[in-house]
Amino acid sequence: MKIPDEKQDALLKRAVRGDEQAFLALYQKHQPALYRYALRMTGSPWAAEEIVQEVFLLLIREPQKYEVARGELGAFLFGVARNRVMKHLERTPRELSLDVINADGSAWREPQDPLTPMMIAEKRERIEQVREAVLELSAEFREAVVLCELEEMSYEEAAQACGCPVGTIRSRLHRGRALLLAKLELLRDAPRRASAGAK
Amino acid sequence: MNCEEFELRGLDVDRADANLLEAAAAAQHAQICARCGGLLESWREVKSDLRLLREATQLDAAPARVEMRLKQELRTRREARVPRRTVVIASWVLAAAAVLVGMVSWATWQRTRHQEVPRYGASVPKADVQSAAMPDKNTLPPGSETSPPVEPKRASSSRHSAAIKEDDAQKFTLLPGSLPSETEEAAIVRVRMQRGALGTLGFPVNQERAGEWILVDLLVGNDGLPQAVRLVR
Repeated sequence: MKIPDEKQDALLKRAVRGDEQAFLALYQKHQPALYRYALRMTGSPWAAEEIVQEVFLLLIREPQKYEVARGELGAFLFGVARNRVMKHLERTPRELSLDVINADGSAWREPQDPLTPMMIAEKRERIEQVREAVLELSAEFREAVVLCELEEMSYEEAAQACGCPVGTIRSRLHRGRALLLAKLELLRDAPRRASAGAK
Repeated sequence: MNCEEFELRGLDVDRADANLLEAAAAAQHAQICARCGGLLESWREVKSDLRLLREATQLDAAPARVEMRLKQELRTRREARVPRRTVVIASWVLAAAAVLVGMVSWATWQRTRHQEVPRYGASVPKADVQSAAMPDKNTLPPGSETSPPVEPKRASSSRHSAAIKEDDAQKFTLLPGSLPSETEEAAIVRVRMQRGALGTLGFPVNQERAGEWILVDLLVGNDGLPQAVRLVR
């Protein structure tokens, strides 16, 4: 199914002409990152699924919107996904997903570590706490945290993805980190900074 | 590095793309400053939690139903595209055919027109027609002579010539004493005569130019007698 040696432009041309294999090659290459980004930003598997679908439907229906000269296909798709995410967040600014654990388990995957049930439960709780804390950040800070900490992008890559200067990303990340720390300390009822500062 | 700078850049100490000098300075400051050291320790814990979250969701991907929907959309569009392409091709073929038919029709019309005009004015010496159309020498005015080749166009030869005939009949001048009659079987004969000969047909003639030779079309009836006359320019 995969056509690794073929360039993405050629794949896209074939996909536009209706070549299903070429389209699937593009889809399988780009959808996981887009889905993760959308999921981490929206906190909703359903919304992430819709966003990924809309991104690729756009590629099918209006492929001319992607111009090779303006950048890579991945960046274009990410830009589309980002717009959709922002629109979703605008529509539901305070919405927190109730389907943290999806029916098919897509939002939660049990770590494959050989841990005791107690340790697994603790680990799971910590993950849920950090997930909630990230989702409670405002969209711009959340995006900086998602891109720089979860997706492990460099500042330059994150700035390019968001279409803003590196300094803006640094500033947002700094603020996001501070808020995240504060929220997690509150959630865990363990004011480490305070205690650390008191040492 | 002071505490303010540490808050701004100190938490990047573990990043892969961190500035080495800044990272070293931040680590050094964290060792000597308990508050910043506590902050770094807290952040590292959060960072480890973020890593857990990242690992837990690392393999997340859109469910298979998204792929199925997209494939369906792709197929639908592909199937819709084929008839559309066929329609476009058919339209072009029809347009080309229409243009071709138009050109052929125009060419045919042009050829027919060019053939008809010379046939009308050209000499086609058909013996039977001429003999039938030739007026009786006795009926011709003196000083005139038939000038073969003549215009042996029988009015009944074709529908087209009938139309011309009708047009011609309007230009012919009836000879005095002749009545407009059925001209279906009439013929046009071109003769060369002296202008003065028109006088014998009952037309007024300028005597000063009576000796000029002129070409005249005579409309000859079934009885072989000229019924009308027309000057040929």
